[in-house]
Amino acid sequence: MPRTTTQIALRIAAVVGVALFLYFLPQARTDLLNYDFAFVGIYFIAIVGLNVVSGYSGQISIGHGAFMCFGAYTTAVLSVNYGVGKYWTLPVAGLLTGAFGLLFGLPALRLTGVYLALATFGLAISIPLVAKRFEGLTGGGQGRQLSLLSSPIGGVSTNEWISYFVWAVAGVMFLGAWLLLRSSFGRALRAVRDAPIAAVSSGLNLARYKTLAFGIAAAYAGVAGGLLAIATSFINPDAFPISLSILLLTGAVIGGLGALEGMLFGAFFVQFGPKWAESISKHIHYNEATVQSTVLYGLLLLAVLFLMPEGAAGLLHRARFVLKESRRWLYSRNDSRATA
Amino acid sequence: MRRALFALGVVAVAAAILLPGAFGGSSADPGVTARSVTIGGTFPFSGPASSYAPIPVGMKAYFSYVNATKTNGKRGVNGRQIVFKAVDDGYNPAQTVQKTKQLVEQDKVFALVGGLGTEPTESVVAYANQQKVPQIYVSTGATEWGAKHDQQPWTIGWQPDYQSEAAIYGRYIRANLPNAKIGVIYQNDSYGKDYIAGLEGGLGAKKSQIALTQGFEVTDTSVTNQVLALRRAGVDTVMIFGTPTPTIRTYATMAAIGWKPQNIFLNSVSATDTFMGIAVARAGAAEVNGSISTYYTKDPANSRWDNDAGMKLYKSIMAKYAPSNAKVTDSLYVYGMAKAYTFVQALKAAGANPTRDSLMKAVLNMNDKSNPFLLPGVVTRTGPNDFFPISQQQLIRFNNGTWAPFGALTDTRPAGSR
Repeated sequence: MPRTTTQIALRIAAVVGVALFLYFLPQARTDLLNYDFAFVGIYFIAIVGLNVVSGYSGQISIGHGAFMCFGAYTTAVLSVNYGVGKYWTLPVAGLLTGAFGLLFGLPALRLTGVYLALATFGLAISIPLVAKRFEGLTGGGQGRQLSLLSSPIGGVSTNEWISYFVWAVAGVMFLGAWLLLRSSFGRALRAVRDAPIAAVSSGLNLARYKTLAFGIAAAYAGVAGGLLAIATSFINPDAFPISLSILLLTGAVIGGLGALEGMLFGAFFVQFGPKWAESISKHIHYNEATVQSTVLYGLLLLAVLFLMPEGAAGLLHRARFVLKESRRWLYSRNDSRATA
Repeated sequence: MRRALFALGVVAVAAAILLPGAFGGSSADPGVTARSVTIGGTFPFSGPASSYAPIPVGMKAYFSYVNATKTNGKRGVNGRQIVFKAVDDGYNPAQTVQKTKQLVEQDKVFALVGGLGTEPTESVVAYANQQKVPQIYVSTGATEWGAKHDQQPWTIGWQPDYQSEAAIYGRYIRANLPNAKIGVIYQNDSYGKDYIAGLEGGLGAKKSQIALTQGFEVTDTSVTNQVLALRRAGVDTVMIFGTPTPTIRTYATMAAIGWKPQNIFLNSVSATDTFMGIAVARAGAAEVNGSISTYYTKDPANSRWDNDAGMKLYKSIMAKYAPSNAKVTDSLYVYGMAKAYTFVQALKAAGANPTRDSLMKAVLNMNDKSNPFLLPGVVTRTGPNDFFPISQQQLIRFNNGTWAPFGALTDTRPAGSR
């Protein structure tokens, strides 16, 4: 599909617009906002990975928090128990969690749809409890305290540093996913999702692609989990509640499953959605703030899904379509005028 | 190629957004102005521990009362209104870290007061001490808040620690039940293990009287196996060291198998009238009657305090400043209010122009006998070798829907600082 420079510029402008809007909405810009952005980046990585398995290969996972937990503990255990520099643990967190995802992907092959979703849900419940068991390794319920964050670069605050670092990693991971998904591998995944029978009859190994998708998604979540451990400097099983997995899936759906460009919006929503709901409801009433913010968050979610049924990526897609149509209309008028 | 450009564009946008923000200048004493003192804390308004949400509400109610009351012609503390920012962390340390940073770096709180939960508190101890922000009167009874003062001088607890409480049970058994055969059912985490350590300490040489310990996970939905094991071991004295839900479940399970041990002890966290009422409803009065625990705050559900000035003050503050749906008889509100009282005393003692240093000095050199919400005789005291603000407790026995005290107040303050 050929594209003009204008189209690309428009596409970028749309993303910039959304980003700026999200950026200025919550509060005046502060140093602390950098810290929030680090978390947006962490969720971004996890959601991009989740999109590979749920969006492209069509396997719904409500257990992605478990993979983050696995990655976070890899980073924490390596850096606390074995003294590995915490930033260097990230590749290991990605690889180990990826391997774990592959292993999980094998039995998951027997399951589809709702049954697979339930299996991943079980993962989200059990992994944090497993982490609680091996106390010598994981610190049990008390968790692990990593060294506190500090910026190695003069003039750059700690919060700036962590967000730069997270976004550098996120940029690389995003590029990786993007290259992977536009390759024949991505095409194969889409084929597996949309027409499994046709895919198999064309010689695609269904099992291999489905398992690989799980492995890749898990590796992304593992890196995100490792970054979470670094950014918070402390993890324990309570840091990976089931709601985390659901939030991630929410982010992927809101971003637009099966498209990468909306994931940024999804990540913003995961980090800031609850905060906006909370800050709005706080203005209403102090003590019932939580109840109200939960209701508000639900309403916000509904509104977003109604307005953008295909997620942020779908909205971008539709905006492009409208633009194209209106231009075609404009050109055709010009053409008709010319012939007249 | 163009797609690659687009991807780069996205990353560039992200990077542009992240350009250095305004760095908040750190004055010597953030959070203190001529008219206000801003403090904050993280609490589980949502999530698995949300039953503790009344604590910050009780604190807030007391601060509102202080803010509205004139002393020496000025409202608040030395003319400053106390602004209390209680934020929700859902008992999730990853949230505690973010919300605490928000309180310290964005809301510029003077001090972190009352943060709830052992692990959530743990997750920000290093940060608070690095930033030298007072992290005081945390709402957890882990022993480490007092025991590790030299490593974390800006952090301190408030309530009696779990080990001390269990030691009281141990000493009571040593003195009064010399032939008891003890079985322990405990929550398998640092909280439950703190209690076992304390019990062993209190029993001293009689430690061998503990015949069996049975752990359960806080997420377990049944304690049947543990209760059956205790019964099989032939114990006559059962210690229940858990949070309210599994404690109530233990009573119900014992009743269901028709077993009533001679003596039942349960930790004070689960021993409020509200929770005992549920236990009676589930297991029957016969099972629950005679249970022994401790307390140190006045119990709003107990009619013996109906004419007590402190209790009257509590009820009037609740009526005026708490949300209308607050259940006044829930002793967690008293806990919050008593804690807020201690903070106000410390803030007063920190001087006309409080600094974080002067606040810590006041917190670490306290000798306050005036707290109207604590039991008569309970002193809030700290000193050079004593970092446990409250360490006196009263043994109580449950009978026919209410707790009755027996014996004298017990002090578990470290020897030498009593």
